[in-house]
Amino acid sequence: MPANPSSEPRNAFVAVSPDEFFVQQIAEHQDRLFGYVFSLVGDYSRASDVVQETNLVLWRKKSQFQIDQPFLPWAFAIARFQVLAHVRDRGRDRCLLDAELVEQLAQTVQQQSEQLDSVRVALRQCIEKLSPASQDLIRRRYYRSTSINDMADSLDMGVSAVKVGLLRIRRRLAECVEARMASDEMIGAE
Amino acid sequence: MTDSNLAESLKELEKLLIEAEDGQIDEVGYERIRELMKSSPIVRDHFVKWRMMSAAMHLEGSSGAGFGSGFSTSAPAVDHSFSVSDRSDRRKLDVTGKWRMLLAIAATGLIMLMAGQWLARWSDVARVQPPVMGDDPGADVEATSEGIALVTRLVAAKWNQSTDKFAVGDALSPGRLRIDSGFAQIEFFCGATVVLEGPAELEMQSSTMARFRSGRLRAQVPPAARGFQILVDDLKVVDLGTEFGISLSPDSADVQVFDGEVELHSPSEDKMRLLAGERMTRSIDGVVDRSPSTPEQFVDIERLDAQAEGQAEFRRNRWQKFSESLRRDDRVIAYYAMDDDQVWNRKLQSSVLPANPDLDGAIVGAARVDGRWPGKSAIEFKRPGDRVRVDIPGEFGSLTMAVWVKIDSLDRSYNSLFLTDNYERGRPHWQILDTGQLFFSVRVSDDRVKTEHREVTSPPFWKPSMSGQWLHLATTHDVKARTTTHYLNGELLSREVVSENQVVTPTRIGKASIGNWSSPTKPDAKFAIRNLNGSIDEFILCADALSDDEIRQIYENGKP
Repeated sequence: MPANPSSEPRNAFVAVSPDEFFVQQIAEHQDRLFGYVFSLVGDYSRASDVVQETNLVLWRKKSQFQIDQPFLPWAFAIARFQVLAHVRDRGRDRCLLDAELVEQLAQTVQQQSEQLDSVRVALRQCIEKLSPASQDLIRRRYYRSTSINDMADSLDMGVSAVKVGLLRIRRRLAECVEARMASDEMIGAE
Repeated sequence: MTDSNLAESLKELEKLLIEAEDGQIDEVGYERIRELMKSSPIVRDHFVKWRMMSAAMHLEGSSGAGFGSGFSTSAPAVDHSFSVSDRSDRRKLDVTGKWRMLLAIAATGLIMLMAGQWLARWSDVARVQPPVMGDDPGADVEATSEGIALVTRLVAAKWNQSTDKFAVGDALSPGRLRIDSGFAQIEFFCGATVVLEGPAELEMQSSTMARFRSGRLRAQVPPAARGFQILVDDLKVVDLGTEFGISLSPDSADVQVFDGEVELHSPSEDKMRLLAGERMTRSIDGVVDRSPSTPEQFVDIERLDAQAEGQAEFRRNRWQKFSESLRRDDRVIAYYAMDDDQVWNRKLQSSVLPANPDLDGAIVGAARVDGRWPGKSAIEFKRPGDRVRVDIPGEFGSLTMAVWVKIDSLDRSYNSLFLTDNYERGRPHWQILDTGQLFFSVRVSDDRVKTEHREVTSPPFWKPSMSGQWLHLATTHDVKARTTTHYLNGELLSREVVSENQVVTPTRIGKASIGNWSSPTKPDAKFAIRNLNGSIDEFILCADALSDDEIRQIYENGKP
């Protein structure tokens, strides 16, 4: 990760203490950690809780962290333990993923989380291309976490119509994001 | 797995994920997702990609305001002009912003911890207070309103056809409003109030306009609602901030101004002004006559108020009498009339006679508010902790639960009416689903046995336009006839026969909550929070399945 932005006066950062560096790493990777945890937990507020617990554990274990070691894989490993603890505490009934699936998915989730920034860039462009009505559905459901029932009520639509609409838009977005990311990779390879 | 199988699996997975993300999925659905995922690595990849997209969208939505805003600037602000070419500049900006911010916070890791705790609290708040419809100033598209006017009072109102019927609290949409006799007070969203005297017909057109077809009406238009219009034949009556009346019979139209002034527009004549105390009559043959107004012919809001009060008193007395008989009914095992307690009293007195203080309930959090009548109390449930705790001993067979409830909105997946603490064999749960269906179940299995109970749900009875209305809900569970029956306002909603192995005796209550479910300690807040958003006025629990007629009587004698 870029640790020394050249556009800033360097002297302000000459003596970054290990704590400062650590805080900076955690801040830098918040979204990726969220992506990682959310993918396994599947609920916004629960995932936020687990990320916060992970932050605390990271902070507590900061002495174990070697400054020359890559931060993210280490943080993901700790996040995985936190997710597993969460799944265990809640009992299988209430969590979609059991421990077995969490372990099975961890590798893929980690790879995907590392790409989260480019997913977001692509996503933003793809959402722009949607019709205003489709954009509105996405914003309500995912930006503001409005439940499908409330959406149906306020848009005067049937619940199943909202579901079908979301499903259709999600498919279109997935295709678009994938296509954009593929073309970006090609540009990068040139 | 063949390709077409795989494609089907992926489609099924997506559908289930839409529901899972919404919290609208049961253990069977979860199990199906797990099955699908275990079937193929492609399904698992698909799952991860889907989740990552959801995560990305949540982050987009919260960048700037929500998740991570305490200290993380790594979420770039939403920037619609963002293009590939300026990405590198953008990146630099993000990073420099981050450094600047870190200067401020890196000095002490404590801030980081505090931010963490603050965020954890913030997300708790977010979880227990789901966004309220139309309450979001950032909404691109505002929630559409449920109507253009509200019915605020009915006095001795009668209707010819049941399809014409409307109730106090109804939101009215554009369309015809008929009343056969009695009075209806309608408040237009623009601020104008109309008292309609039956027989009359008013065609609601918008929040500022209506077409008057027949009958008599009196309109009160405060300054804020100036410009309110009533169309009568080819006449347009435009109000300039006043009070006026219109009487319309087959052979004449009569417009009278009691206060302020109105403008009369008609295609054949010049605009005409009517001032306070003036009256204009136009006969069917077009003859216009002017004379002094006769306000006493039109019931105004004040007099309507007095009449309504008389009606309310009559109804309250009727209920009181009926309630007395309920208190002594042997079949009644718990009864909270909620009528003899002081506002400050946190004890909910049991109404069963002879008195048994052990049945008194404890009000936790919930507030006492006005019930069906002024001065008659009800309990309002708003926050996730609000509840009334009761402990009802004994073993029963059939059951009846009946309640007067004012639902503000159905916020939760399960909105509690009456839930036993533990959900063990023989314990009933009575609640309303967010789909507006009444839900009743008696647990069949205990924890070891896997034959699950089957709940009996009514068809959806709730519409958001019913928000704020007093409704009477009742459910009977008849173990002999093996039926569960749901009622709304004294009328049958649905009756279902329950299979033999689904009928459990004895039924038990024990510790239970009105208006909530007492498992706040459960880690899964989503399942634990079931508080009602609304008020309850009178709760009856009977150790018998009351008949259709008895339920109707409870409604008729209790309606406000």
